[in-house]
Amino acid sequence: MVARSPIRARGPVGREHGWEVSTTARKGGLELCDLTPYSKVLVRAGVLSKAAEVLGCALGLARRAPDGTLVAGTGPGEWLLVSGAGTWPALADEIGGGDPTALTTVVDVTHGGFLIRLSGADSRRVLEKICAIDLSDGVTPDGAVFRSSVARIVCDVIRDDDGGVRSYLLHGDRSAGQYLFDAVLDAGSEFSIGISGYREKEA
Amino acid sequence: MIRIPCPNCGPRNSSEFSYFGELGSRPAPDAVDPAHWRHYLYDKKNPAGWTTEKWYHASGCRKFFAIERNTLTNDVKSGRPFGVESSSEESS
Repeated sequence: MVARSPIRARGPVGREHGWEVSTTARKGGLELCDLTPYSKVLVRAGVLSKAAEVLGCALGLARRAPDGTLVAGTGPGEWLLVSGAGTWPALADEIGGGDPTALTTVVDVTHGGFLIRLSGADSRRVLEKICAIDLSDGVTPDGAVFRSSVARIVCDVIRDDDGGVRSYLLHGDRSAGQYLFDAVLDAGSEFSIGISGYREKEA
Repeated sequence: MIRIPCPNCGPRNSSEFSYFGELGSRPAPDAVDPAHWRHYLYDKKNPAGWTTEKWYHASGCRKFFAIERNTLTNDVKSGRPFGVESSSEESS
């Protein structure tokens, strides 16, 4: 049994944690990478709940937990947790047993969505072609999160700079994955965008 | 282009939203007669000027909220979540 991303793996193909992934080497510069195998957990809870306190992240912001999990406040009372493939975010267990009177839902959406990373100095210019949000550092600095229309697809966009290089994570419904991947590639063609293979651990 | 001020996400292009009509208080279904219910469903004020409307941010926070919009100029005064009253809001 092998799990497949909605985005067709290009170039040499390998397996990581039961997922079929592209093993194309990184070339540097402007890159698009399919990170769908990463664990993605959706949390819904009240903004004043114990869970919100544990997650420690307001709407529109992202932070890294001590175990490396990316916590992103994607909506009012809604968070997306992203951790390495085959792992379960420790935070997701912590919030489950908090307040028994507050309704908290924790749903694994790993196989229900896509996750791609657009990184490189020109990533802002690429994203600006297909997204109407102001991507300047003043409005969306590193750690900013928003949900908006990207190439007419509703996406969670997380500014998550990678080793000082401007980088965006895009997360959305699985059915739109291949389309959006191709749309970003198309938008980035004038900036010589390249495809890089799956990365187990990020910089 | 109309920019709608979402109270959660900030100003966004109107293409991210769905329009849900004039804002009015929903009567209790078991406490009104059919004529009153029909009036609530279908009779709209449709003013030429400022009105309070209900919008849904489908491509963003996925929340309903109210805005005051001028139907002649498409100027928008404010956006606010439900439960927060506006001084100029009309009751229907």
